[in-house]
Amino acid sequence: MESKETKKLLTKKDLNIMAFKSMFLQASFNYERMQACGWAFTLQPGLKKIFKDDKEGLKAALHRHMEFFNTHPFLVTAIAGIIIAMEEKKEDPEVIRALKVAIMGPLGGIGDAIFWFTLIPITASLGAGLALEGNIIGPILFIVLFNLVHLPLRFVLMHYFYGFGLNAFDKLKTATKHVQKAASIVGVMVVGALIASFVKVNLTLQFNVGEKVVNVQNDIINAIMPNLLPLALTLGIYYFISKKGFTPTKMIWIIIAFSLVASFFGII
Amino acid sequence: MEPTIMQIVLVAIWAGLAGIDLFDGLLHIHRPLFTGMIIGVILGDVSTGLITGATLELIMLGAMPVGGAQPPNVVIGGVAGTVLAITSGLEPTAAVGIAIPFAVFMQGLITLYFTLFVPVMHKVDAQIDAGKGDSAIPLANYFGMFTLFLMYAFVATLLTIGGTQSAEFVSKFPAWITDGLAAGGGMLTAVGLAILLKIMFSMRYAVYLALGFILVTFFNATILPVAGIAVIIAVVEFYLGKENRSETTTQGGNEDGI
Repeated sequence: MESKETKKLLTKKDLNIMAFKSMFLQASFNYERMQACGWAFTLQPGLKKIFKDDKEGLKAALHRHMEFFNTHPFLVTAIAGIIIAMEEKKEDPEVIRALKVAIMGPLGGIGDAIFWFTLIPITASLGAGLALEGNIIGPILFIVLFNLVHLPLRFVLMHYFYGFGLNAFDKLKTATKHVQKAASIVGVMVVGALIASFVKVNLTLQFNVGEKVVNVQNDIINAIMPNLLPLALTLGIYYFISKKGFTPTKMIWIIIAFSLVASFFGII
Repeated sequence: MEPTIMQIVLVAIWAGLAGIDLFDGLLHIHRPLFTGMIIGVILGDVSTGLITGATLELIMLGAMPVGGAQPPNVVIGGVAGTVLAITSGLEPTAAVGIAIPFAVFMQGLITLYFTLFVPVMHKVDAQIDAGKGDSAIPLANYFGMFTLFLMYAFVATLLTIGGTQSAEFVSKFPAWITDGLAAGGGMLTAVGLAILLKIMFSMRYAVYLALGFILVTFFNATILPVAGIAVIIAVVEFYLGKENRSETTTQGGNEDGI
């Protein structure tokens, strides 16, 4: 995307370095921040250039991007391009944060559809077919085809969305507050969908009523509402973290300990 | 066949590299299809490696890390399957059966590791405050990859040396521990989402949280259509907000104090 009036601070080389570093998005994966530290690692070269003479600004920006982050590892450069453009424009941190969260969830869905449900099954089954006949070309063909899509996409998305971000936020700057609200709506709604899709709580607890076996989760809780347990769990953790001042680390240990004990007694 | 020390070391190195590739790099050299071929080359039986790898690949195509879920570990599954098929002369399909306990065991180990890595984040935070973010952020990432490498290399060595005996050992590992860790992993996603809510949530957005939840729970929607509907609502709200503002203020000011 060519921009006529927008001046770009980051060079093609800067963007390429960031796209390359995005391959290590999950190198420091953990259950509290997920990809946050790898995400900060990706943005770092750009941020250093943007906050060149502003040490405190750089610290704040690094902290901002050390917050919880989780998106699709293949499409991450699309967000990285937009967000680094916003940082360059010195957008309101609240807006940057809201937009980051709003994009990262849906991008996960798109990435799963493109990569895990389409590209990998097609290339891998092609390669496996050849390999089963003892043909060594099979595995090699798989890696080559896969990366012919994977690697260029990473770099193209970075460049495209950086240009896109610079232009888009020129226009949106006058309405930042409304952008933030709109982004929060998307973010929160996607979180609602993520809770129902990806939080898994499976109780195996059951008891006998006469001759009938009643499973607590399937027969009682899900009769009230399916996915009630994942929703209650997420909101419960939210309550403890934001109202009771529990750290996420503490919550994680509580959950692990609970799972082990519950598993021992056959409850989950 | 008995693998030589050199072969054991090479298998361990490959398992370590493949383990990194599962999360970072993502060139997909970690898939059983490719790993099977490499293990075959290392152990001197390319054709068994190819066939076992391809068999495992077709089985594990269904086990994708979609949406942050942790399926049985595909790297150790692939390495274990091909190593055992070659060293113990098992049929590829039988080797696959033995590979699965290793894959489940590794999955438990990884869940534990992702939990133990949390304190590193707090160290990085402190280093950023001390003005050392420049070195601390890369270091945390290199450290993460190095540790992953060691874990995979260790498990791969165990199974190459122990062969089918180590498979028995692993399958005797109490199921309640691996099951418990797996169940915990499914629930830990909730912590990340709760943190997101802490950042963005306020009561006036509660209806949107409910809407997203209901669309998936009762209409089996996937994330993408939910996001599409969310964007439509957001755009409407955006323009409504702008219109309201221009009605109330006489001048559509650029200096919108934020």
